[in-house]
Amino acid sequence: MSTYPGAGPTVFDPMTLPSDDNVNNYTFCVELKGSQWFLQKGKMIAYYGQMDFNGIGHGRLDRLVRTSFHSPLHASDWVVAEGSGKMLLADRAFDVNSYDLENGNLTIRSGNLLAFQPTLALKQSIVPGFLTLIGTGKFVAASNGPVVFMEPPIRVDPQALVGWADCPSPCHHYDHGYMTGLMGGLRAMTGLGGASGEEHQFEFVGAGTVLLQSTELLMAEQATGAVPQQAGVPGGHGAPTGHPQQPGAPRLPGQLGDLQRRFGL
Amino acid sequence: MTFREINSKMVEATVMPGQRLFSQRGAMLAYKGEVSFTPNIGGGQGGVMSMIGRRVANEDTPLMTVEGSGTVLFGHGGHHVQVINLTGDTLCVEADRLLAFEGTLQQGTMFMGSQGGVMGMVRGQISGQGLFTTTLKGHGAVAVMAHGGVFEIPITPQRPVHVDPQAYVAHHGDVRNKLSTALGWRDMVGRGSGEAFQLELSGHGAVYVQASEEKL
Repeated sequence: MSTYPGAGPTVFDPMTLPSDDNVNNYTFCVELKGSQWFLQKGKMIAYYGQMDFNGIGHGRLDRLVRTSFHSPLHASDWVVAEGSGKMLLADRAFDVNSYDLENGNLTIRSGNLLAFQPTLALKQSIVPGFLTLIGTGKFVAASNGPVVFMEPPIRVDPQALVGWADCPSPCHHYDHGYMTGLMGGLRAMTGLGGASGEEHQFEFVGAGTVLLQSTELLMAEQATGAVPQQAGVPGGHGAPTGHPQQPGAPRLPGQLGDLQRRFGL
Repeated sequence: MTFREINSKMVEATVMPGQRLFSQRGAMLAYKGEVSFTPNIGGGQGGVMSMIGRRVANEDTPLMTVEGSGTVLFGHGGHHVQVINLTGDTLCVEADRLLAFEGTLQQGTMFMGSQGGVMGMVRGQISGQGLFTTTLKGHGAVAVMAHGGVFEIPITPQRPVHVDPQAYVAHHGDVRNKLSTALGWRDMVGRGSGEAFQLELSGHGAVYVQASEEKL
């Protein structure tokens, strides 16, 4: 697994560090030549050269934020690095990888995104907890274990989902097959036998790519800011919705956990 | 091949009609095709007695049956996954290390004391296996979880293998294991090497060792 030569760990200097590429599985090196990168707070571990790290919301960066940062409530989690030099990014020994988008779109779990080029526009996804990147450019994302790319149609455990590219229509899928029939009825009545833990998945159909991480261990979710309290906005609680279950109403035995929790509200 | 290792932390299993898989509950990452996941009341194979046996033995990791046709990806908790193919011999492994296994394998519980009496029980305590361990027997593949990468060490009659009990994952074959102690006066005064207990495995087979001393 390890690629170390026999002589011990490789030693890097500013010249030998790769430019916009992985140093190893867990570290990514970004080269700045008077350019700018957005990065999540605290993900820079070292840098060579002259760099400034400015919080977003700084007056001078207003124009940049206006063009490529569309999550105003989320701005406090991000900084802009500018200057020239090489910067190393890492996140708690998670696997780090860069992805290139060409006039494309990709939606990613907010905790997994580390950094992106300002040529990409960052927007809040209408799926709570996810961010969408649109445009052309490079971004860096972390995952627990290597990322696996799959083609739809596929159903994915919510915790294993890293993101998706293009438009494979994410939706919820519930398996209740084992709750039917005689044994299923008994199970539903008594609660004996429990749940498989797999009765709820995200389903993807259509053209696109789904990104999975190879484990169910989640990264800490980054606050993506609250969505506007507006009618029609998912999670916005704007208008009285026809929610099937009133909070606090007694739940029938065997019914799957709180629907609200499952929808991430 | 039922299980295919996609990377060090993920396996892909092919499910075909008429073939069942058992897997730890909640270990499915994604699937394609028509696959159903049903929780096992008994936590595995056998009748009520073997279920009670497992409960008593504390080897009743919640399992689910995977049926249908399609491909399923398994992984759990960021642990490394090792696929072990069994050809008629018996694999001894802790139940909570089982990620998934083929339905063709016979699941059972073994009392540690049956190998070496009281010493076997002591050995179980030290290696974290407890008084009981799970056995899988027959022809088929097993996906086992471990903390850190796993490597296989063959055991031959001439060459017994010594393993740190905390790094021990599983073994298969006709293997006798015993706990060897190297306790000396240094350990008594707190200047031990930290390697006072070792698991000595001898016979014919293989032992799987993880590159970490952390239990799952």
